[in-house]
Amino acid sequence: MSPVVFAVVILLPILAGALIPLLPYKNRLQMIFYVSAVVIVTSALSLWILFRQPQEALVLFRFTDNLSISFRVDGLGTVFAGLVSVLWPLATLYSFEYMEHEKHEEIFFMFYTMSFGITLGIAYAEDIVTMYCFYEMLTLATLPLILHTLTREAVLAGRSYLYYSLGGAAFAFIGMVFILSYGDSPDFVLGGVLNHARLGDHANRLLIVYVLCFCGFSVKAAMFPFSAWLPQAGVAPTPVTALLHAVAVVKAGAFAVMRVTYYSFGTGLLRGTWAQTAVMSLTIITIVYGCSRALKETHLKRRLAWSTVSNLSYILFGVTIMTPAGLVGALCHMVFHAVMKICAFFCAGAVICKTGRQYIYELDGFGRKMPAVFVIFTVSGMALMGVPGLCGFISKWHLVEAAVSSRNPLAYVGVAALLVSALLTAIYMLTISVRAFFPGRNFDYAAIADVKDPGWKMVLPLALFAAAMLLCGICSHPLITAFETIVRSV
Amino acid sequence: MNAWILIPVFLPILFGACLLAVSAAARYKNKPEPDAAALKKLHLAAGAVMSVSAALALLAAWSGDWAVTMFHLMENIPIYFRVDDVGRLFVTVISVIWLLVCVYSFVYMRHEGEEARFFGFYLIVYGVLVALTFAGNLVTMYLFYELMTLTSMPLVLHNGSREAIMAALKYLFYSMCGAYFGLFGIFFLYQYCDTLTFSAGGTLNAALAQGHEGILLLAVFGMLIGFGVKAGMLPLHAWLPTAHPVAPSPASAVLSGIIVKCGVLAIVRVVFFVVGPEFIRGTWVQTAWMTLTLMTVFMGSMLAFREPVFKKRLAYSTVSQASYILFGLSTLSATAFTGAMLHVVFHAVIKCTLFLTAGVFIFECGKTRVEELNGIGKRMPGVLWCYTFAALALVGIPPTSGFISKWYLAQGALEGKIGVFGWLGPAVLLVSALLTAGYLLPVTMKGFFPGKDAPEADVTVKEPADGMLLPLVILAVLAVLFGVFPNPLVKFAGQIASSVL
Repeated sequence: MSPVVFAVVILLPILAGALIPLLPYKNRLQMIFYVSAVVIVTSALSLWILFRQPQEALVLFRFTDNLSISFRVDGLGTVFAGLVSVLWPLATLYSFEYMEHEKHEEIFFMFYTMSFGITLGIAYAEDIVTMYCFYEMLTLATLPLILHTLTREAVLAGRSYLYYSLGGAAFAFIGMVFILSYGDSPDFVLGGVLNHARLGDHANRLLIVYVLCFCGFSVKAAMFPFSAWLPQAGVAPTPVTALLHAVAVVKAGAFAVMRVTYYSFGTGLLRGTWAQTAVMSLTIITIVYGCSRALKETHLKRRLAWSTVSNLSYILFGVTIMTPAGLVGALCHMVFHAVMKICAFFCAGAVICKTGRQYIYELDGFGRKMPAVFVIFTVSGMALMGVPGLCGFISKWHLVEAAVSSRNPLAYVGVAALLVSALLTAIYMLTISVRAFFPGRNFDYAAIADVKDPGWKMVLPLALFAAAMLLCGICSHPLITAFETIVRSV
Repeated sequence: MNAWILIPVFLPILFGACLLAVSAAARYKNKPEPDAAALKKLHLAAGAVMSVSAALALLAAWSGDWAVTMFHLMENIPIYFRVDDVGRLFVTVISVIWLLVCVYSFVYMRHEGEEARFFGFYLIVYGVLVALTFAGNLVTMYLFYELMTLTSMPLVLHNGSREAIMAALKYLFYSMCGAYFGLFGIFFLYQYCDTLTFSAGGTLNAALAQGHEGILLLAVFGMLIGFGVKAGMLPLHAWLPTAHPVAPSPASAVLSGIIVKCGVLAIVRVVFFVVGPEFIRGTWVQTAWMTLTLMTVFMGSMLAFREPVFKKRLAYSTVSQASYILFGLSTLSATAFTGAMLHVVFHAVIKCTLFLTAGVFIFECGKTRVEELNGIGKRMPGVLWCYTFAALALVGIPPTSGFISKWYLAQGALEGKIGVFGWLGPAVLLVSALLTAGYLLPVTMKGFFPGKDAPEADVTVKEPADGMLLPLVILAVLAVLFGVFPNPLVKFAGQIASSVL
């Protein structure tokens, strides 16, 4: 298999996406057709690459002798690319129904499709330079999606997204420079690339840089104290919030953190140092902080966004355990959280799109009127809080097992934080379900007579996600084995 | 393959889910409320499924030892069912009481409405409970423990008042909090135990645990507190007196009689089948546990004594009585363990009787407060006699059942090498028994002898329909009979005790 296929899979959505607003469509259906064709071809191609696992790398072009834009597929990239490739078509299907009543649809789909290619670029990046470039591009490509409605709120949200992300990337840049100067190569190698001879007695300096770099990339993963942009960005249309702000963008942050921790700096250098303590403490704080904010929030999408903040830090917490098991837990939660949260967001989106209700106190009695949406929402809530039999339990189990077996007292605190967060999750998710299904004895259903379930384009992805949550919860074994293979040599 | 044994788990769950789906669909299409004929069909179907499931559950429990692995949730962690003596005891109690209360509900739920939803959840919870008692390892148990919370919550908020919904949420969040304490412990036990499969005497790997006793004890203590939530143990007991009384009376009866016992079951499983009693004997965990249970026993009785709302009084009484059982377990002596197992059975029967009586009072004449019940015995002598027998049994007057279990509990405490608790425990139990007499028996006295100047009771009030009276009488008779012929049960409980201690 020729490595040129990498260029195709990354450039196709970017270039074809850029054409979306320029093509002359006779009607909306043609545009839908074009967009779906691009997305499905890209996603099929990407999955085919993952299936074939070609070994050669593609060097797209070189900046200098050793700095290049190059792509390759490895274990970690497979997980992220696979996740994105599966979710993107479903989210696109959903947005066709959601965006029907919004203006500037072409522009929306243009950036939406381009982001797909850029995210794949991050997943397939062979070295830190490539990843960094696509990481910056992702910020720029997703900015217009937040700005989409062009309300004052959206502009403010877009501005803070931009500042936070660019600021974070600047810190990440410092990390990249140090990797380039102290490492053997810019490539990602499991176990790290630092050259110990060159490192000498500069280890402490590298630790400082690691913490900066970790924080820099964690901005996208909305770690405390850099989490404020994510809930604000909830003003974007729901397909964006669901796919980008629960999966692609934020997980690109987590993915980058995994890359620098396990593949560039290497856990050998970091484990047991103050740097590990520092970053782990931050993630533990975020886990509880995100949930507490979610609990206080009455806006449905913002509540879910705060929940994302907390859950992303589950992933980062897994990373900071710095053992192979920790990475397995992190990967596991990366995948499962994506499914759970995208599902919850799509339910919220269905409510907003069909009824215009945005606040939780407006949802009384909706369970009877939108049974499909709220049953699925409840399932995703239960998955998020970790009811066994659904996927959330599996990932929490692996994260916690990693924490307990690392024998690190701070990780025990993390376990407690996870459970506190699970309780808070139960509270902020189930109160919504209880409100929807049991509005009280004297509730007047005539007041919400106009509310009903959305069409199949929205319900189908929801049902698939719900099925996936159950399936992954019951039969997670193959997936876990695959993750373990990926991290075996850390 | 013994898979048929799981029919009593899945039959009620599936049927219950169907009931819910059908009733939801009917409401979605704005169909009118079901008429009498439709309700009759519903009762017939629910009753049939309930009886078949109960019969199958008993058959499964008493047809010898078996084990079924359903599937592997994770590597090393199967969803695994096995029946042992503890499971047999619990599943028998649960099935008999669930069936009787089901019969009672056919009449009672007429005035609550939304019957399809009630019976739907009622059956689902039954299936979940059977699975819980048959669970063969800690993770399976945890799974069904959480499902029990989630599926029994709608029983609490059934009447849909604001009070009921808030109470249900309180129930939910306390239980979840407890479950997560439990989960914290499970995570640690998984690391330090050979297996999470239950085996009498525990599976803790001493070599692995060496040097990590501190964190392990903390984890075990967390589990005691966590699973103690369901059993209404201090410090997380506050949901119980809120949630039990607002539920419809049959639901209160099973919540107080049965669901509370599932907290006990979980603690039995953790302490005697995974951690092993020897690990906590003489540690601060045992001391703290005994202290908490004794405080709960006393405090529960005290609060019940002061409580004027009848069902709430009974709920406080549950708080106190469930901790009798837990105190028996916490002494880690075989005799007290026997007493605890006996009290599980007796208290389930007795507390169901009491709550069902309270239900009759609400159903027939809408009386909820204790002082309104003056003279009720003239109108409903049968019901009040049932109440009186159950109350006497709960106080522990020989020859009723409560006497037997309390005897074993006190004797076990005196025998056990637990220092000051050896005499403090029995003393607290005694004081609490006096308080129990003080809060239960006045209802009987005022009921039969309201005094000369009391207003004449409402003449329209009379004994309830057979459907309600019959389960009540059966339960009351059982409460007494167990005291008169306790030997088979004592022997069985003793057999369990000797296998784990």
